[in-house]
Amino acid sequence: MLKYIIKRILWIIPVLLAVAFITFSLMHLVPGGPWDRDKQLAPQVVENLNHKYGLDKPFVVQFKDFLWNTVHGNLGVSYSYQDRGVTNILLEGLPKTATLGIIAFILAILIGIPLGMVAALKQNSAVDYASVLFSTIFASIPGFVLGILLMIVFSVELHWLPTGGWGGIKQIIMPAFALAAMSAAYIARITRASMLEVMHQDYIRTARAKGLSERVILFRHALRNALIPVTTVAGPELAFLVSGSFIIENLFSIPGIGRLFVQGIFARDYGLVMGAILFYALAVALVNLIVDTLYAVVDPRIRYE
Amino acid sequence: MAPLLKVDDLATYFYTQGGVVKAVDGISYEVARGETIALMGESGCGKTISALSILRLLPASQVKIVAGQVLFDGVDLLKASKKEMRKVRGGNISMIFQEPMTSLNPVLTIGRQISEVLELHQNMKRRETVQEVIRLLNLVGIPQAERRMRDYPHHFSGGMRQRVMIAIAISCRPKLIIADEPTTAVDVTIQAQLLELLRGITRELNTSLILITHNLGIVARYAQRIYVMYAGRIVEHGPAQDVYRYPGHPYTAGLLASVPRLDEPRKTRLTPVEGQPPDPLYPPPGCPFQPRCTYGVPQCQRSKGDFVEVTSGHYSSCCLAQNGVTPWEKT
Amino acid sequence: MAVVASTSQPHHTLWGDAFIRLRRNRLAIAGGIVILLIGLGAIFVPLISPYGYAKQDLDAILQGPSWGHPLGTDALGRDVLTRLFYGARISLAVGLFAQAIVLAIGLPVGAFSAWVGGRVDNIIMRLVDVMYAFPDILLIILLRAILGGTIYMMFLAIGLVAWVNVARLSRGQILSLKQQDFVTAARAMGASGRYITLRHLLPNSLGPIIVAVTFNVPRAIFAEAALSYIGIGINPPTPSWGNMIRDGYDVIFAAPYLMIFPAIAIGILMLAFTFLGDGLRDALDPRLRR
Repeated sequence: MLKYIIKRILWIIPVLLAVAFITFSLMHLVPGGPWDRDKQLAPQVVENLNHKYGLDKPFVVQFKDFLWNTVHGNLGVSYSYQDRGVTNILLEGLPKTATLGIIAFILAILIGIPLGMVAALKQNSAVDYASVLFSTIFASIPGFVLGILLMIVFSVELHWLPTGGWGGIKQIIMPAFALAAMSAAYIARITRASMLEVMHQDYIRTARAKGLSERVILFRHALRNALIPVTTVAGPELAFLVSGSFIIENLFSIPGIGRLFVQGIFARDYGLVMGAILFYALAVALVNLIVDTLYAVVDPRIRYE
Repeated sequence: MAPLLKVDDLATYFYTQGGVVKAVDGISYEVARGETIALMGESGCGKTISALSILRLLPASQVKIVAGQVLFDGVDLLKASKKEMRKVRGGNISMIFQEPMTSLNPVLTIGRQISEVLELHQNMKRRETVQEVIRLLNLVGIPQAERRMRDYPHHFSGGMRQRVMIAIAISCRPKLIIADEPTTAVDVTIQAQLLELLRGITRELNTSLILITHNLGIVARYAQRIYVMYAGRIVEHGPAQDVYRYPGHPYTAGLLASVPRLDEPRKTRLTPVEGQPPDPLYPPPGCPFQPRCTYGVPQCQRSKGDFVEVTSGHYSSCCLAQNGVTPWEKT
Repeated sequence: MAVVASTSQPHHTLWGDAFIRLRRNRLAIAGGIVILLIGLGAIFVPLISPYGYAKQDLDAILQGPSWGHPLGTDALGRDVLTRLFYGARISLAVGLFAQAIVLAIGLPVGAFSAWVGGRVDNIIMRLVDVMYAFPDILLIILLRAILGGTIYMMFLAIGLVAWVNVARLSRGQILSLKQQDFVTAARAMGASGRYITLRHLLPNSLGPIIVAVTFNVPRAIFAEAALSYIGIGINPPTPSWGNMIRDGYDVIFAAPYLMIFPAIAIGILMLAFTFLGDGLRDALDPRLRR
């Protein structure tokens, strides 16, 4: 088990390397340079700036330097905010993005799993139909569409909530729901389908034949088995939340990494963009690792490699 | 002395899109204390359904027990409350299922699956169950019990899992065990071991046993009385030896003739029972076996399945036997 | 007088069966009809609408729905309904044509990887893993920054990121089919790898791939809308639903409907494709065949 985890952690490194390389190359293919402003700078100035930031060195050397710096925790200098390092800027945005993502994930689970379970247990009842309808609709409406609708209802029409920003519950509630809805719906569907299948298994019949109460059967025998497929999708769902968060951040003007990334692309700010992408890739990789470990905990059948 | 279990005119129907399937159509049997009976018949004849009906373990949506009584120690289980049924299940009557591969929960240790019955019916605390679980595992022949009780079902072979199922079944010293084809999914050599195990345990604890099977060999060796089922009805019943020697129903005779015997010359041809069981949605009128029967007479279509005593304690529902005619006899 | 239970059924092909089952699924049919209607509207809007998508009417800005403008006008006096249908062109085109690239890259890569196996398979799968490590929207943005904002480049940007899904799927399908007896039989008759792959394996794996592609369409639609919303999608003044949302945000308090209509349009189209995809998946599921 431990070996498996270590192997997976070690595997993240070459993947991140490849991601960094691809991103680095792509960034350098983007037309224009970091010094493009409305007012054209004199060529001499541009040349000096390029030299100052090492942008005139050969590509491979630049990449090597970048890697070296990254390993030391220095993600370089931001070309648009010249007084602050990229690491610094990202760290400022990180708590907001992370909070949003985590809250959305918790919401998705707290809504999705119970909804799916109740629907399965009361199959073909009103609750079941309502839940299936809810999950089908919300599973196909993208977060930012929902975010827009929420914003218009609650901010523009009702004036209950602000249209964006960051600060307290009022600012976070709409973006979190908008982000969570699609995942909650999907998780509800999977939980329902899984629960239905589990309840028809032979071992549930054995449990009944032992005289156990329905409650015990549900929580001790059925639940863990039913959650196995849910754990399988938790990884991709979290990764989806991580990447989806950046659009929601833009919509609700949340000063997180997503916004920084978009600004960085517009400004050809190599440093910032590289840092943001590496951050996301690392986040996704770690999330997948945690989820896979969790999966092994839940299902004893796959514990031994 | 009153029998431990008396199933009286039980009827269980399936309500499907195509119509009503009378899976169990008015059967009666009884088991005395400490006795082993066999419920025998081919696949689909309703034997499993009748067993599930006793414990009311049927999937509620399409199946209903429409008639009959199930008297266990004098109490009609079909009228019992859900709470009372839960006490009976596992405590007084336990069941062993056919499929060892899927009948155990894959995410719980086998020790846990045994101990939970003890906690439930014997009121033991979790800690107290450990010794008892080890004792049970030893009893059913699982080596290194102390280590293996922490293993999961997928660490065990099919035969071992059935032993675990047996351990679960006997853990609370039930008065009756229902074993639904307990050895069908297992190797022949293991089959013998499991059955010997069951026999030893039932003798020691004086437990009654209903052995559901389609295997004639098993029946001969382990059951005292047998009930032969066909298309949801009992067609013949009586002491095992008698039924085998003097089958009172053409179906039973047909089954016996289709099995190779050690005391006949090797080259003897086997005569199978021709045809198929009837379509459950459209059962034939009168005797259900009549379309396949080589001895049929017009009276069969009006037969109501009443029993007639063929030899002492041995009954048949064949209308020919009722007239004292048994043309299928060889021995 | 033997009564033999009859169990034979009329013989159906996989596709025939699937079509019949699909027809019975009302949600899927509804989805299909919605897509058809939107598609027809998108194609014929230049003939039907009296307005062009760029026609400004500065005397009639920010008007709510009326007879002349069923969905109102935007901040430059342009008719919203017309722009909505022109935006539908973009969404449908991107959604569907990006799949052409997805299939063109994904199918062969997956099939090749599965058939050859061994080291080559390993390397290709590592590459796929790396691509999976990227959150896809980010990579699409990066590609768009390089390739530019014409619609053809949007196809390319989205297609270049989304193919991994189909590659994995086609590889999985071919791997499982490869073991089956009919493949061994074909080989025994001297068929080459390429022949077997093209004539035997791919046709048999089409079912799940069709379903995956149908589900990919709403994702592509969403990607284009998201990019346009941020400002790095289709270049204005070509209307895209994402563009329209972005413009609408500026006047959200004065005219919230400018954001609502395109947002709902995105939702409806994505929903329609999802219902269709669900229906296709159920219809093609071999386990449900009788």
